[in-house]
Amino acid sequence: MTTRGAAAAKGTRGAGASAALVPGPGSPLAGLARSARIIVCCGSGGVGKTSTAAAVALWAAQAGRRTCVLTIDPARRLAQALGLDLLSNAPRPVRAKGLPARGPGSLDAMMLDMRRTFDEVIERYARDADQADRILANRFYQRLSSTLAGTQEYMAMEKLYELHESQRYDLLVVDTPPTRSALDFLDAPENLNELLDARAFRLLIAPAQRIGRGYLRGLNLATTAMTKMVRRVTGSELLAEVGEFFAAFEGMYDGFKARAGLVYDQLKHPSTAFVVVATPEGAALREAAYFASRLAADRMPLGALVVNRIHQARPVPEVPAAARRRLAADGADGRLLADLLELHDGLETLAAAEQRRVRDLLATVPNLGVVQVPLLPDDVHDLAGLRRLGEYLFA
Amino acid sequence: MLEVLDRARLLVVTGKGGTGKTTVAAGLGVAAAGRGRRVLVAEVEGRQGLAGLFGRGELDYREVRVGERLNALAVDPDESLREYLARYGFAPLARLLSWANLNRFITAAAPGLGDVLLVGKVWEAATRQARPGSGAPGAYDLVVLDAPPTGRVVPFLRAPETVAELARVGPIRHQADRVRDLLDDPERTAVLLTCLPEELPVTETLEGVAALQQAGLPVAGVVANRVTGDRLGGRAGRLAALARDPAPLAAAAAAAGAELDRAALGTLVEEARDRQRVVTRERRLLKELRAGLDGLPMIELPFLAGGVGGPEEVRVMAGHLATPAGLWTAASTPSGRRLPSRSGAPASRGSDDAHPEAGEAGG
Repeated sequence: MTTRGAAAAKGTRGAGASAALVPGPGSPLAGLARSARIIVCCGSGGVGKTSTAAAVALWAAQAGRRTCVLTIDPARRLAQALGLDLLSNAPRPVRAKGLPARGPGSLDAMMLDMRRTFDEVIERYARDADQADRILANRFYQRLSSTLAGTQEYMAMEKLYELHESQRYDLLVVDTPPTRSALDFLDAPENLNELLDARAFRLLIAPAQRIGRGYLRGLNLATTAMTKMVRRVTGSELLAEVGEFFAAFEGMYDGFKARAGLVYDQLKHPSTAFVVVATPEGAALREAAYFASRLAADRMPLGALVVNRIHQARPVPEVPAAARRRLAADGADGRLLADLLELHDGLETLAAAEQRRVRDLLATVPNLGVVQVPLLPDDVHDLAGLRRLGEYLFA
Repeated sequence: MLEVLDRARLLVVTGKGGTGKTTVAAGLGVAAAGRGRRVLVAEVEGRQGLAGLFGRGELDYREVRVGERLNALAVDPDESLREYLARYGFAPLARLLSWANLNRFITAAAPGLGDVLLVGKVWEAATRQARPGSGAPGAYDLVVLDAPPTGRVVPFLRAPETVAELARVGPIRHQADRVRDLLDDPERTAVLLTCLPEELPVTETLEGVAALQQAGLPVAGVVANRVTGDRLGGRAGRLAALARDPAPLAAAAAAAGAELDRAALGTLVEEARDRQRVVTRERRLLKELRAGLDGLPMIELPFLAGGVGGPEEVRVMAGHLATPAGLWTAASTPSGRRLPSRSGAPASRGSDDAHPEAGEAGG
C-alpha cells in the first residue's frame, strides 16, 4: 500500500506528485531548521520520531548549520539510522559520504547515557569530590538515577542545555523517548525539586539525620513511631540508604533548583521549537493532540506537526457496480481488474479517513503548521533514507 | 494460543510502542470473556488507553465493568500504595501520608517502588480469592495486563525482586517472592509480544523475547499485527507486464463496459504494485521473525481499522484472536499462510482485510 508519494520517492513518478502533500508556500520545518537553536521532537512510539529528528538534523547540516542530534531512546535506533555502531555520552561526528566536508555545516550525533549525565550533574554541583563520591556510591542514588521516570528525560534536557550553553552548535535536535513520559521533563524539574527538597520526607527518616531545630522536635517524636512502621514495611536497609542519600545531598539543592529553572526557561525561549510527530492512526494522533495541548499549557513553543506514513490514492473514474459485476464474472483479466478496483477503493477510503483524522486534530490546535510525509516503501535506516525523508519534510 | 486464553491466570502483553499492544490486550480480554472466563484487563502506564477502546471516558483505580464477565482497571501507584499499606495493617500510616501529601512523593522517589506497587496490584487481582458478601471486588479467572513496552517490561516485572534486594525480610520480600512465583510459572502466566511487520519492531521483538526468556519469564507467543493482506497472490507477478502494457485490462474493461482509460488502468496497476512491494517486504520480515522465534507460537493479524480505536476494533481483534487454535502456528512452520477472513463475512470489499475502513466510508 505505498502511495504515489512513495512512487515519486523512487523516481518512477513525476516529482510534482509530492507537492500536494505540503500545504502553503513551504514546509514550516524549513524555517525552524534554519533559525531555531533547539528542536525537540516528541510523539508516541513507532511514529518515525527518531528518523524525523535525524532527517531534520541532516537537512540543517547540509544547509550550513553546525548541528547535533541527540537521542535519549534506549533502543539504538538513531545509531542505526545514522549508520553508527556506538554513540557515547559526548557528541561524535557523523562520518558519511555526502555530508559537507568543508562548508560551515556539520552533523554530530550522540545517544544520551542518562545515568552518566546524572552522575555528571552530581559531580558538577557537589561541594567536593568526597560529597560526589558518597552520593555516587549510594545505592538509593544508583537506582534513582537509572530508574526514576521523568527525571531521566529531565537529565536529557540538562544535557541539551549544557550543549546549548557550550555554543558548539548552531542547532540541537533532540529525540524524546517513545513513552507517555516523553513530556515528563516538563514536570521533572518540579518533581525533582520536590524530591530533593523533601523536608517532610526527612522527618520520616529523622534518625538517619540530626534534626536540630527546636520546633521540629515535637514532630520528631511523632515521626519516630511512623519511622518504625516504615522500617517494618520496607526493611531498614532501604531506609538507611535513603537517609544517607539525603544526608549526602545536603547543600546541593539550591544549585539543582536554579539549574532546573534555567533549563525550563531555555525550553520556553522562542529559539526553541517543539515538533510533534505522529502517524495518521487514531492512537498516534490522539497522543499528538495530548502533546500539543500539554505544550500549550506550559507555553512551550510548538513549531510544527509532522504526520508520517500518509496513504494516498490517485483519482480513478468511478466504475458502477453493474460493470464491476460483469468484470468479476469475465475471465482472469476481468477478475484481476475487479480486484485492482477494490484495492483502489480500500486505499481511497483509508486515505480519506486519515485526512479526516488529521483535520480533526488540527481543528483542536489553531495555527499549527503541518507536514505530511507519504508512506515510504522502505524503512529509513541510512543517510540516503534520511535524505529521502528530508525531501518530504522540507518540500 | 486459545489454550493460553483458557488456561492462564495472567496474560502479560508487551511490545514495541505503536505496535497495538493495548488493543491486543483489550482484544484478548474480550476474547477470553467471550469464552466464559471472568476477566480483568489492567493498564499500568496512566495512558488511559483502555478507556477509549471500551468506549469510556476514563478509567480509575476501581475495577469497572466494561462487558459481560469483563472488568477494566487503570492501576494507579498512589492508590496501590494506600491499599498496600492498609493490607499490611498500616492504615494509619497511609492516612498520615495522605495528610502530608506524600504519596506521590514516595511513589516517585523510591526507585521502582511505583512499579512494585503496580505489579503488586496486578498480582493481587490475579490471585484474589472471592469473598462473597465482603463488598470487595470479585475474583478473576484471568487478568490481562497491558504492560510497559518491551524496553521496560523486564525491569517492570522484576521491580518487586529488585526492591526486595534491599529488603531481605518483611512484607516486601514476602510479596516479591509470591509475585515471582506467579510470574515465573508457565502454567499460570503467559507473556505475549505484539509486533508489526516492519524492520525495527521485528528486531525489537526478537530482542524483547530474548530479554524476557533470559529473565526466566514465560514467553508464550508473538502477535504480528497489521499484516497487509495479499489479495492478489500469484497474480501479482503479472503486474510488471501490465504496467508496461495494460492492453489485457483495457480489453476486459471494454468488454464489461467499465470506462477506464489507459491512465486510469496505469494508476490501478501502479497502486497494486506499490502494495505488493509492501506485501513482499512484510513476508520477508515475518519470515525473519518466525526464524528468530525458534518455534514459539505466532499469529498474524490483518491490518484492521488502522488504529481507529474504539469498541468495534476491539471486537474484531477479539474475533481474530479467538480463532481456532490451528491458526496460531509454531514459528518453525513456513510462513505464507493466508489470513482468514472475518468468519461469516462475505468475500466482498468489506472483507478485504487490508481496508476494513471501507465500511466507514459513509461516516
